Amino acid sequence: MKTVRVGLCIGFLLAACQVGHAQKAVRFEQPILITSAGQSADVTLAGSLCKKVNLDAKAVAQAAVADLKGVKTLILVPGFSSKGLGAAGTSREQEMERVKTIIEGAKERKIPVLVLHIGGKSRRGTQSDDFNRIAAEAARHLMVVKQGDEDGFFTKIAGEKNIRIDVVDKIASVMTPLEAAFK
Amino acid sequence: MNVPIHRLRAGVLLVLAAAACLVAGREFVAMWQPDVLRPSGGLTRMGRLSQYCASLGGSRADATVYVYESGVPGATMLVLGGTHPNEPAGFLAATVLVENVVMTAGRLIVSPQACADGFTSTDPLEGVPGHFSVSTPHGNRVFRFGARAANVVDQWPDPLVYLQYPSGQQLSGNETRNLNRAYPGRPDGTTTERTAYAIMQLIEKERVTLAVDLHEAAPEIPIINALITHDKGREIAAGAVLNLEIEGLQYALELSPPNFRGLSHREWGDRTEAIPFLMETSNPIQGRLRGRTSEELILKGEDALYLKAARLGTVRITYDDAGEPLARRVGRHLQGLRAIIESFREQHPESPFTCTGMPGYAELLERGVGAYLR
Repeated sequence: MKTVRVGLCIGFLLAACQVGHAQKAVRFEQPILITSAGQSADVTLAGSLCKKVNLDAKAVAQAAVADLKGVKTLILVPGFSSKGLGAAGTSREQEMERVKTIIEGAKERKIPVLVLHIGGKSRRGTQSDDFNRIAAEAARHLMVVKQGDEDGFFTKIAGEKNIRIDVVDKIASVMTPLEAAFK
Repeated sequence: MNVPIHRLRAGVLLVLAAAACLVAGREFVAMWQPDVLRPSGGLTRMGRLSQYCASLGGSRADATVYVYESGVPGATMLVLGGTHPNEPAGFLAATVLVENVVMTAGRLIVSPQACADGFTSTDPLEGVPGHFSVSTPHGNRVFRFGARAANVVDQWPDPLVYLQYPSGQQLSGNETRNLNRAYPGRPDGTTTERTAYAIMQLIEKERVTLAVDLHEAAPEIPIINALITHDKGREIAAGAVLNLEIEGLQYALELSPPNFRGLSHREWGDRTEAIPFLMETSNPIQGRLRGRTSEELILKGEDALYLKAARLGTVRITYDDAGEPLARRVGRHLQGLRAIIESFREQHPESPFTCTGMPGYAELLERGVGAYLR
């Protein structure tokens, strides 16, 4: 009986640690590189948000691994845009490859990834969700505008991968957790 | 005198056919009557597109241009409605400006029926009404619901393939009459190309700072409730999207693809000093999933089949029993304009642009479009 109790206690403590890890805030550092995953113009919005909270961030829609030099945080802004791909002169497949490569590059350089999904419903659906998933699964912290998570897509990934997630009502509300993540 | 029965039948059929032609003909001709707009006291000048492209003079494509000058130096904004005359929220948002705006700094130029020619017919086989009426405190105002593009009577025939000038880009033949595929146009081209050319000339000669093209699209189209801009408008548009969000309106920000030629946000941006924007609202009467196509669908935007589609998750907007009424769509456009102006002001304080008489989204929802029509 005693062994069972001890076992239960250990199990409980381990579970508690796991929950604690999921909720634990990751402290991100500057300078920041912001890039798109899917070429939506939300990357510009992310740049504006960083500017509003005085973060040292540079937005490069088609950033490559070389752009990670000197960078301490990578912000990925997922969401597909056919107009954006056209503007960038790239294909969906090439964009996916670029995103995978930069995530791998960040991982090798131990640069933490923060994901901002701020496009709501417009950046969900078949075309966007491949980018959303790959970005979300690479994240240490997810910040999602509620409209984009009505079906729990991001919350589920965060739960499965123990990623901290902040679901906010509006794009402007991202500023609060964003600022806190760099303090 | 005995009339053979077959002759009698033929006679009756001829009379019935003539009656049907008369009714249809009257409806057809009724669309040639221009809509009556009642400009506000802030109007300082009225002109036509033919001032910028003489060859449009006397044609049905010679759209009216309304100019509101404050006398105080500042930015000049151009607002186009009716680029696609079957997108009434754009036309009515521009009309609300025409009938209410008074400038206090800078200058506003409005052309509510940019593709004036397209207002003289409806699209064949769509079954849309030729007119719709908006209730106002002073009685009903009737407006035309036109076609997506210029009237085939004035630009015939469509080529099999439309070769966009000057890019050579190939599009389907009927796009040859689509104003938003015709920029920069040419002075000796088709009616649509001449209209596009006149608008380009207007932007240049009037030294337009901000140019906005108001549109609508079907609820199943990915780019709705969206703000599209050229690369040079990126920062202003981002600020505008944030401003809109403060008002509770979510907009997708999109960038103009450089390889898709002929569009306002691409050619205005590439070829003039103006910073271009295009806004899209969601209009069920344009959609392929729609059911009964009526005036009520234009005004209320309620459609049982779109409701079903929304429940199945196949539309990109929140669509519920309230539909997508005209007041909401016009309100979105007007709030969008306000958001662009506010963002521009934040980033360019040296170039003022202020006015009164530009109602916002909340006001339109509360009072309806008719409250802002004189």
